[in-house]
Amino acid sequence: MKGLHVIGVSHAYGDHQVLDGASLIAPAGELVCLLGSSGSGKTTLLRLAAGLEQLQQGQILINDEVVAEPGLHVPPEHRGIGLMFQDYALFPHMTIIDNVCFGLFELPKDTARRRAMEMLDQVGMTDHAASYPHMLSGGQQQRVALARALAPEPKLLLLDEPYSGLDTNLRGMIREETLSVLKASGVATVMVTHDPEEAMFMADRIKILGDNGRILQAGRPHDIYYHPEHEFVAKLFGLMNRFESVVVGGHVETPLGRLQAEGFEDGLKVEVLVRPEGVILESNGAGQSAAGAPLEVVSTHLLGHDNIVRVALTGDDVAAGERDIYVRIHHTFEPELSQRITGGIDPEYAFIFAIDEDGGILDAPDGRN
Amino acid sequence: MVELTSPFKLDYEDLDQDHQRLADIVNLIVAAIDADEGEKCEDLVNDFVKSAKGHFAREEALLTKAGFPNVARHHAHHQSLNTKMEHLVEFAKNAADNQLARDSLRKELVFFLMDDVITADMDFKTFFEEQADKGET
Repeated sequence: MKGLHVIGVSHAYGDHQVLDGASLIAPAGELVCLLGSSGSGKTTLLRLAAGLEQLQQGQILINDEVVAEPGLHVPPEHRGIGLMFQDYALFPHMTIIDNVCFGLFELPKDTARRRAMEMLDQVGMTDHAASYPHMLSGGQQQRVALARALAPEPKLLLLDEPYSGLDTNLRGMIREETLSVLKASGVATVMVTHDPEEAMFMADRIKILGDNGRILQAGRPHDIYYHPEHEFVAKLFGLMNRFESVVVGGHVETPLGRLQAEGFEDGLKVEVLVRPEGVILESNGAGQSAAGAPLEVVSTHLLGHDNIVRVALTGDDVAAGERDIYVRIHHTFEPELSQRITGGIDPEYAFIFAIDEDGGILDAPDGRN
Repeated sequence: MVELTSPFKLDYEDLDQDHQRLADIVNLIVAAIDADEGEKCEDLVNDFVKSAKGHFAREEALLTKAGFPNVARHHAHHQSLNTKMEHLVEFAKNAADNQLARDSLRKELVFFLMDDVITADMDFKTFFEEQADKGET
């Protein structure tokens, strides 16, 4: 099958194990994001695929050809890969067209220039062919970098945090353009990012790397967001409300109501993580509470499309640390400070994980409510 | 077209046969999608899911018998695939008259087979090799 296969790769720098049996596939035409925090080994995995590091354990194949295993190292220039980094790495002394032609040295000059112009056309940069990199904005340089990476028609494109140098508005636009160009090219792409939103936007499949150098979960963006199998994965997407509980009769009680705990043994201590958008606020519109846990509005913060509302549980039997609850609601709903309101949980946004007596995380059967 | 080349062989006949059977079904599903015969997908995907579950059970029994040290972790991994299999079935149900469902089915089947099943099983390739060296399998 065309694309990249990484099988059981382990890698250490001295005593520090950065990858531990990591595997991934990136079929032709698909984009796989490696998502993890700094130091999780995602860039190392990319460098191993590129051939910029010698493989210590495992196997790497590109288009069914083994390019790396212990004792075998096909050099980067013979792997048919394109690379794109955060800093664009354009040659400052070359024009844009010459930058794109750089990787086409095996083609006759006229053919190379024609191919380079085609690529610049794809990224909307033909008008800047004679310019130098310093004359372009960051977004334009990024487009040129993409054209240069794709010009030699690589079997595999590797992107390392390619948008982190761009401001928020430009990043959104450029990544959408990039995605469209990549899909049209049909190249297998692996992108490293620490930005979960970026991974959700770009990826056909996301691979989450934990701090232990192991792949914690792989799946569609939908799987990762709605069915996290690990506490680390659930928490990647920002603020979570956390409650501790014990499984009784296949259920757990939280201050916001009862949830099913399918697959967990009775008596097991668990934590319940609830996304802010999974807390449902209700009011009968007359300042009186509907059914649900009693809450009081502490603060509201407008984030554009949404409001983040902090509410406090008003009951006496609430555990320390569980009193404040964060809620994400549509911006048109603006509860007043000190307003009494009620709240419940949408189970689709609630995840249950087994914990030990000290609150430390254990393995969960399937990680979701 | 999914082809299981030598790097994806465990050199353990029963499991390699299981993988090949799964790959064959995936290829039939992809062929049906390419031939615009989405209505064939539901039965084929049901067969795929049944075969996958049978494979997981056989594999876990075999690993337990052979003394593989990470059986519990592999079992948990198999359990985690249940939701993905439900999604595959859902895509297949809609494949007859929905292009998006067909596209999603094709994409997710390949990832499921190659990434979640076969590549994940490479975890115990070394174990089997060591067992074979000892003459235990």
